[in-house]
Parts: sequence; structure tokens; C-alpha cells
Amino acid sequence: MDIEEQDNTVPKQLYPNQKYPVDGQVFKTLIESSLTWLRTNQQAVNILNVFPVPDGDTGTNMVLTMQAACDEIANSSERNIGKLTRMVAHGALMGARGNSGVILSQLWRGFARALDNFEVMNGQLLVDALHQGRNTAYKGVVRPVEGTILTVAKDITAEAEISLADTQDPYDILERIVVAADASVQKTPELLAVLKEAGVVDAGGKGLFYILEGMFRYIKGLPLDVASDAVLPISAMKLENTLDSIEPGQDFEVVVDFHPNKELNIPQFYEDLQHIGTSIQLGEGDGIYRMHIHVPADRVYDPIQYTKSLGIVTKAAIENLRVQVENIEHEHGSSIQFTPVEPGQIATIAVAPGPGIARVFASLGVSAIVEGGQTMNPSTQEILNAFDHLPTDQVVILPNNKNIILTAKAAAQLTVKHVTVIPSRSVPQGMAAMMRLIASGEVEEVVTDMNAAMSDVETGEVTTATRSVEIDGVNVTEGQIISLLNGKLVIASDNLKDATLGLLKKAHADHFELITLFYGSDVSRMEVDAIVDSIRKKFPKQEIEVQDGGQPHYHFIISIE
Amino acid sequence: MSNENTPLGRVTISPRAIATIAYQAARQSYGVVGLTSKNLMEGITQVIVKDPTHGIEVKYDDQKISIDIYVIIEYGTRIKSVASSVSNTVKFNVEKALGMPVEEVNVHVRGLRVSNTD
Repeated sequence: MDIEEQDNTVPKQLYPNQKYPVDGQVFKTLIESSLTWLRTNQQAVNILNVFPVPDGDTGTNMVLTMQAACDEIANSSERNIGKLTRMVAHGALMGARGNSGVILSQLWRGFARALDNFEVMNGQLLVDALHQGRNTAYKGVVRPVEGTILTVAKDITAEAEISLADTQDPYDILERIVVAADASVQKTPELLAVLKEAGVVDAGGKGLFYILEGMFRYIKGLPLDVASDAVLPISAMKLENTLDSIEPGQDFEVVVDFHPNKELNIPQFYEDLQHIGTSIQLGEGDGIYRMHIHVPADRVYDPIQYTKSLGIVTKAAIENLRVQVENIEHEHGSSIQFTPVEPGQIATIAVAPGPGIARVFASLGVSAIVEGGQTMNPSTQEILNAFDHLPTDQVVILPNNKNIILTAKAAAQLTVKHVTVIPSRSVPQGMAAMMRLIASGEVEEVVTDMNAAMSDVETGEVTTATRSVEIDGVNVTEGQIISLLNGKLVIASDNLKDATLGLLKKAHADHFELITLFYGSDVSRMEVDAIVDSIRKKFPKQEIEVQDGGQPHYHFIISIE
Repeated sequence: MSNENTPLGRVTISPRAIATIAYQAARQSYGVVGLTSKNLMEGITQVIVKDPTHGIEVKYDDQKISIDIYVIIEYGTRIKSVASSVSNTVKFNVEKALGMPVEEVNVHVRGLRVSNTD
């Protein structure tokens, strides 16, 4: 490395459409742009992650891999592109993280090999390098899975080869392979069924697209720090805040369909409407126009009058936005308030089968709820989404159902966050564990405490048998009410009251202090009150609490502690 | 042998069946270019019979499944990343197929294959 050679002939900033010969320093700038753009879109890539690609966070892994590559060349003034890409490949190899990171490092490795000892990269060399990159990457696996980053690498190489017939310019080829990469990424669900099922494109492929697009955007002078498609989990979007900001003068929304007499002068149309209201939109189909506008209360009829002057109004609709907002605000009032979590604190995620149970968990301090239970197991992705955006890396999950424990553990594997799954098999166990949460405590201690707390509580469940069977020595006829104590069938009865009382007796509820009943969505409050009265008679010394759990299928979930 | 009781009877899953799942998963793992036997003699007999569980050992005792995998990795990849990705892929696929937790997956890198020297 010769420091004195570092002079100003190397552009610090490439201006749009200026095509410098691609030597080591130009390529360095391009790679740094790739990293910046990939990092900007990191979350968008992470969100695409689906099973069965247990690859942690694909976006994060690819960023870390590219970061290692950039670190390697950060202080280099190497002008020889062969030598520079070799350093890039070395850095990517050393920093390769996750499956996609390893594949990416192989792509770079092949890419660098093709450029070995060349001073600058022309079109032919770029194609050769892509070719080598693809070959090297494909060699790394016995059975390549198509519909992944490998496929995208293959498709861009094919496009690069074709484009060589039209141009020798590496910048033009780059432009064409960016388009090809995008098309290839969009095609991945056709090749890989799991992607299609999850309704996403391949994360690694998308990451590769961003790497190429980053270079392209830099050349075109486009910004690299604003994500192209902002992806935010719904929970992170502060919907209620946007509602407050309805400005005065937007009281009513008016939508008018009309058929103009003569061709519509659209600029004039917008100009005229701006005097009436805001949020103007105009759509056209089959000669009919639909106009959409927000207006103050006293001008509700003006848009209709105005369009009448232009032609025939076929339909008009007026909606009071104030009322809409108030309705939503009202719903928000009854919505669940979660405990905000600070960085470094422990965030807890609970799976809850019903809205009432969710509310109780929220009041106990959970940071997010995933809906799910016996017959509606949440997906790994849903669990992951619940905690991925939380501003802390210490996460505790309460699955509250034995069928969900494994899913929760799988979600834990998919993130870089430190996730502990407390194997709570029922809602009462989960709540008992929640009681011991100290959000600012030491994770290991808190988890041990929470685990221990689960044995303090007995879980009763009352539901209807869906088939006739004999389990655990109890004969059940389909349609009977059955009671389970800690997951084991203890009683079958023809009525809810006997099944519930029998369950409490089997659980030796008279030796405990508190009985909490969460009643399900299919029992009426009257029915519940009658049963609770008889429980009070039978267990006069115990404190009885009743909560609207809102869960389906289970008439009662009972916590005995 | 892994057991589960259903209303109709018992379902048993042999370690060999588990090994087949693990084998398929390992072969799809990026960076793995082959599976190999723990020792030479076994290797020779297995090559002859084309075993679909070649290079995989499954131990099962008392609710605990542990899997040992003997792999050959492509030279020039980051071995640590490849190995951790193999163990994740195998663990996930076996757990998905079985619905039972896999306690441990040990990846033994028995060699590297050199396709390109840089």
C-alpha cells in the first residue's frame, strides 16, 4: 500500500451518471454504498424470514457479513480491483454469519477470483466475475435449494451474459442485473413452497438485491438512508397518534362518481378543488371519474355542486370523519395497555387464548400478547413479530399451552435477542409466573423464580368432549362436559356445574386460598354467577375471583393457588 | 425408540427414521458437501449399501434426542457459521417432523473439500 499515491483523482463522490473506470477505489465506494443500503433495509429483510430457514435474522446476518467485508477495505487505498475484491472476499469470509452470510461470502470469493490481478473491471470482467461467484456458491452445497439467494445469483449472471451482447459498460450491466435481481426475487415463492405459504419472498435473495441496488442508487445519486418500503410491525405504528392529528377543515369525506361532458382538464380540476378542501384524489375507469376529498362541515355540498357543473354525477357519498375518529378512539379506550419496556429490561410475551385473559396478562405487566391457544396455535413468525421490535434484547416468553412451547422455542432460535421460554402449560401457570417478574432484575434469577412459581398453582380446565373416549380411567361420551386437572382428565359430567365443582374437589381446593375462574366466550354471565354461588357454598373459606376470559372452547379455565 | 400413545395405540419412531430426516436436512445445509462415517470400516460398508442415514448417529434415551453428524465442508467457507447452520437446520427439521425437542446436535467436521484454491 502506497500512501503517497492517494490523491484526488479518485472521486470522493460520484455524481449521477458519471462513469469512472471501475478500479479498486471506485469499487470500494460502491461496496460501501451496498452496505449502507442493505443496512437501511435490514428490518425489511429480517421480516421476510420464514421457516424452514432457521437462519436467525437474515438481514442482520447479511449486514454483519458485508460490514466485515467493508472493515477489511476501510483503510485501503488499493487501486487494483483484483486486489481490492480479494480483500472484500477475505473480510466477508471471516465475518460470514448465518446461512445467507456464508453464501454471500462464497459469491464474493468467486467474484474476486475472476478479477485476480486486473486493474479495472470492464463489462466482460464483471460478467466473468458474476459467473465465477455463482459457480463457487453452487459448489458449496450438495442439494441446492432453488428459490433462494442462489437462484437470484444464477438469474443475475444469466442476465449479465445476455446484456453483454448490447453493452460493454459495467454500469449499464449493473443497471440490468438490478432489474433482473428484483424479478428473480419476486419469483422465489414460485420455486419454494414455504415462501408461498408464508406469502413472502426469499430474505437472502432480497438481501442480495439490496446489495446490488445500493451500488446502483449510488451511481444514480439516489439517497441511501431512506428505506424504499418502510416495514413496521403494526404494533409499532402508533395508529392512535395519527388519529389525533386530524386537522380542522377535514370534518367530512366526500366521494363523488361522475361522468364529465367533455374531456376533463385535470390540472384545472385539482386547482378548483383546492379551494374547497384537502386530500384530493382522482381516479378514472371506463370514462367515469371518482373524486375523493376532505372538506369542512360547511362545505359538504360544494364538491358535488362543482362536479355537477362538469358533467353527470352518478353517485355521491358523504361520511362524517369526526364520528369515525371518535369511534376508533372509543375502541382504543377499551384496548389493552401494555407495560412499556426499557432497553436492557426483561420484556415478557404471553400467549393468550382470549381477550379477557390477554387483559389480565397486560395488567400483570407483559409487553406484548400473542393470540393463541388449544386449537389456534400461533406461528413462529407471529411470536417473533411480537417481541422483535421491542427495544430490549432480554425476552421471556410464556406459551401457556403445551402445544405452543415448541413454537416459542423455535421463535427464540430465530432472533439475535436473548430469549427464554418459560414452559408454562396453562394460563394459570403463566399468570403465576408473571407474578414473579421483576422487569429490571437479573435474567437468570428472574427466570428461575418464574419457573418455580409455576408449581404453586393448580390448573383446572372445563370443556366439552368432542368425541367418545376412555382416557385415564374416565369414560366420556361425546358432548359431555369434561374437567381436566393439570392436563389430566378427572371428571365427565352432563352439566357444567357438576363438572366444575367436581374438578375443584379433585384438586383439593379446600386446601388452597384463592380460586380464580376465567369464563369462556360460550358461557353466559348468568350461568357463571349460578355456578360461582354454588362454589362459594362448597368452599366458604376460599376467596373466589371471577374474570371474563373470553377464550373459545373452554367454559372455564381455573387457577387454584 | 421414541414412543407416543394415541387413542388407537402406540406410535414408535426409530432412531433410524430420525437419522433419515437429519440426513436430508444436513444435505440441504449450505456449506456441507458431504457426510461421512465415524470410522473407516463403517464407511466402507455404508458406501456399499448406500445408506440414507450415512454420517448420522441418533441417540435416544428418556425423552432426550441427541444427534451426531459427521460432515465434510467446502473449503473456503467459514466453518463455524456452516456448522452452526447445520445444527440449526437439523434440529429444526427433526423437531418439526417429530414434534419432540432435540436436546443436542453435535456437528463433527471430518474434512474439507477443496474445489478452488484461491
